[in-house]
Amino acid sequence: MPRIGVFVCQCGNNIESTVDTQKVADELKEMPGVAYTCSYKFMCSSPGQEMFKNAIKDNDLDGVIVSACSPHMHEKTFRKASEAAGLNPYKCEVANIREQCSWVHHDETKKVGTVKSLDLTRMMLERLKRNKPLKATSIPVTKKALVIGGGISGIQAALDIADGGVEVVLVEREPSIGGNMARLSETFPTMDCSQCILTPKMVEADLHENIKILTYAEVEKVDGYIGNFTITINKKAKYVDESTCTGCGECWEKCPFKADSEFELGLNKRKVIYTPFPQSVPNIPVIDAPKCPKIQKDKCGLCAKVCGPGSIDFTQKDEIVTEHVGAIIVATGFELMPNEHFGEYGYGKIKDVVSGLQFERLASSSGPTGGKIERPSDGKTPESIVFIQCAGSRDEAKGVSYCSKICCMYTAKHTMLYKHKVHEGKSYVFYMDIRAGGKRYEEFVRKAIEDDGAMYLRGRVSRVYEKNGKIMVQGVDTLSNGQQVEIEADMVVLATALISRKGADSFAQKLGIGYDKDKFYSEYHPKLKPVETVTAGIYLSGTCVGPMDIPESVSMGSAAASKALGLFSSDKMAREPITADVNKTTCNACWDCVTACPYTAIAKTEVKDREGNIVQMLAEVNVGLCQGCGVCVAACRSKSIDLAGYTDEQVYAAINAF
Amino acid sequence: MENTLREKAKELLSSGEVGVVIGYGWNRKKTRTTPVFITTPEETDKLIFNELCVNNLSVYLTRKYRDIKKLGRPAIVAKGCDIKNIAVLISEGQLKREDLHIIGMTCEGVVYKQELWQGSLKPEIMPVKCHNCDVRNPHITDTVIGEKSDFVPPEEPTGMVFDKIKAIDAMEPSEKWAFWMEQFKRCVKCYACRQFCSLCYCEKCIAEKNTPQWIETSAHERGNLSWNLIRAQHLAGRCTFCGECERACPVNIPLNLINQKLVLTVKDSFGYRSGYDPEEHPPMIVFDPEDKEDFIK
Repeated sequence: MPRIGVFVCQCGNNIESTVDTQKVADELKEMPGVAYTCSYKFMCSSPGQEMFKNAIKDNDLDGVIVSACSPHMHEKTFRKASEAAGLNPYKCEVANIREQCSWVHHDETKKVGTVKSLDLTRMMLERLKRNKPLKATSIPVTKKALVIGGGISGIQAALDIADGGVEVVLVEREPSIGGNMARLSETFPTMDCSQCILTPKMVEADLHENIKILTYAEVEKVDGYIGNFTITINKKAKYVDESTCTGCGECWEKCPFKADSEFELGLNKRKVIYTPFPQSVPNIPVIDAPKCPKIQKDKCGLCAKVCGPGSIDFTQKDEIVTEHVGAIIVATGFELMPNEHFGEYGYGKIKDVVSGLQFERLASSSGPTGGKIERPSDGKTPESIVFIQCAGSRDEAKGVSYCSKICCMYTAKHTMLYKHKVHEGKSYVFYMDIRAGGKRYEEFVRKAIEDDGAMYLRGRVSRVYEKNGKIMVQGVDTLSNGQQVEIEADMVVLATALISRKGADSFAQKLGIGYDKDKFYSEYHPKLKPVETVTAGIYLSGTCVGPMDIPESVSMGSAAASKALGLFSSDKMAREPITADVNKTTCNACWDCVTACPYTAIAKTEVKDREGNIVQMLAEVNVGLCQGCGVCVAACRSKSIDLAGYTDEQVYAAINAF
Repeated sequence: MENTLREKAKELLSSGEVGVVIGYGWNRKKTRTTPVFITTPEETDKLIFNELCVNNLSVYLTRKYRDIKKLGRPAIVAKGCDIKNIAVLISEGQLKREDLHIIGMTCEGVVYKQELWQGSLKPEIMPVKCHNCDVRNPHITDTVIGEKSDFVPPEEPTGMVFDKIKAIDAMEPSEKWAFWMEQFKRCVKCYACRQFCSLCYCEKCIAEKNTPQWIETSAHERGNLSWNLIRAQHLAGRCTFCGECERACPVNIPLNLINQKLVLTVKDSFGYRSGYDPEEHPPMIVFDPEDKEDFIK
């Protein structure tokens, strides 16, 4: 006969007002297998817990039920106390008679509440009788992190982890780290130069002894689980030997072929052997193979001739490298909504309609115009510029229902930059609302309007067209009785929507993490676990989660890094033993569980005889990956899977006790 | 047709390509067809194929029949409808396509129950599946035997089962309940429906599990309801509507109504029809981030 103790908590008056806790304790005392019961004012208080521990020892209890609040509140507390009293923590269960009973019944005669509390506790009693002592499993942790994406958020995460003494592999798709921030001119609201604050961080990452940067590389495959990931990375051929190249620049000086620069967003040309921008990290060029005549047709080869150390290697191939890491930080960033989406704003047809990011390049001192605001069509200084906010954002018709968050701020910044560079220039801003929530943000926008004279017009633009070398912008000003306005401009800047990266969804599937309807990655909990994902050991950082500005991206990088460092703080990691287990004798290998598992925690394994012939196939749960959700248990037709701590037998017994 | 079949079987067995041919043969009085398991070239003359070959032999490919597995690599004589079940077995890892030789028989329909046969195949004695069949020319085969069928199934499926489903759909929930309780009342839990079904291949069925006991084993209404509901749920998205369970039921429970309703529902909700693609796992049990329901993400 088991010796079970039942502790009924009064929770001050929270439970006691509608539940006769003494009666619950008294009636439970008569149940078979119950050795001790009591009712107590506050079980979670220090004296309450002392009493709890003593009662376990004094009465030689082998299982305990605390009938109190939701297990979400104090299950951990009481399991810890049980452990301290020498009991297996999984022999302690909490019956919820507060949230699910006393709080929802207002019967002051205590009739309903008492009967229901009795039922709930009795159900838990039958369940507890079938509890097996469970032991937390521990899995080894590989102390190395992978950061995917070398933008500011990824760089920050990598630096923080590396400073914590852990090795980091930073994978970047482009030839240089830096991401979108490298493209910006000045940054709001402090107006410090983007590159001046970013490049020192890039160099720091490059020189850090704990950071290994793989540029021009993409993550192909992710296997394994928290603490033990195996990453397959494709290092695309650069056609340049990274170990000998000095970055002298002779090759791209001499290269006679040009192509549109991705970094300059088509506003300028680059060579076919190139680094994206002068401060690139690493400062090693790559050859744009499809455009290189030497690689395509075996003509030219000038770069190899001028290269002092002989680093150019036209025969280089893509290389697959494997890395073993314990944690992954996803910082893959954002894209701007493609330009062709804005037919009504003349994008693509009218050369002087540009995106916000293109304007950043025009305003940047390292940009194609050296920081002079010039029209892309003829190089003239524009006398007036129209800025159109919410180009795509908050527009269901364009498929983006959300606010891109940063555009209000950068548009205000653009008007300032324009005013500072072209004193006579006139800027007009069409906006829906001004969203300037953030430290010093509102003041910043006010300054643009009041000090720098930007003309803000609340309304939408209906049409943009060309007339006599000018760009005509037709719109409505809703604050002056919906008056139609037409503005003659030299340039139009669209604050295009921030969207998730192309292929973000398929990449999420590779990682086994969730994403929302806009293909931004989903946090485990949007408020309380903002950097975790549903897959343990994979953390999120930066704009792959949604639109955010630089300070937020950087904080998130640090937050993700602290999560990873927490994981790396010990050699082994304890895992809850609430995991699924396959009954090998009845498994039919139909793989329903394999397809049903959201965590890819179930594998198809082969059972071999001594000669190595496969005699049977079986499903097997990887406890490192299993989150104990129980989907496989429900899916299994032959009932060959059980969840430790929540076995069918336990659940059934609880239901039958009702 | 039969000669070609026998020749093919002979060839497969003599060359050693297969160890057993699972097919149809006559009973002793030549009144009914019965499954035969041919292991030598000499026996192949026993093989037949005609309108009485209603049985779905794919059940002999499952793990329920270990002794047949021991006879070696099987070849199976299968109609298009039987091949659907084979496709599900492959998609659920119960078979490997390369471990099986499928002798696909073109078919102009079979008789619903062999007792009804009076010398010719009239539409009245054909099961509903034959009237709506789109696999009279079998769809997954290694060998095809028989002349090509030009039958085009009607655009809207027709037959008694579909009419009845519409009638039941129109009922009030209480009427539906009463209708099914009345049907299930007759169940004696002989599990013939399970034994005949090639997709009920679990070695240990949930009906035999006793810690906890999910299904009461006595022929009580409660247990009858549990069994029939669980059986239906376990076949949702998988059942190919071959009709063997209803044919086997000794107390005439209209299981085809349940099965076809499930087929229609799964087609509506998931755009999936079981038995056509051996690569695709039945959808009811697949975690898919693209799922149209939000709660799953």
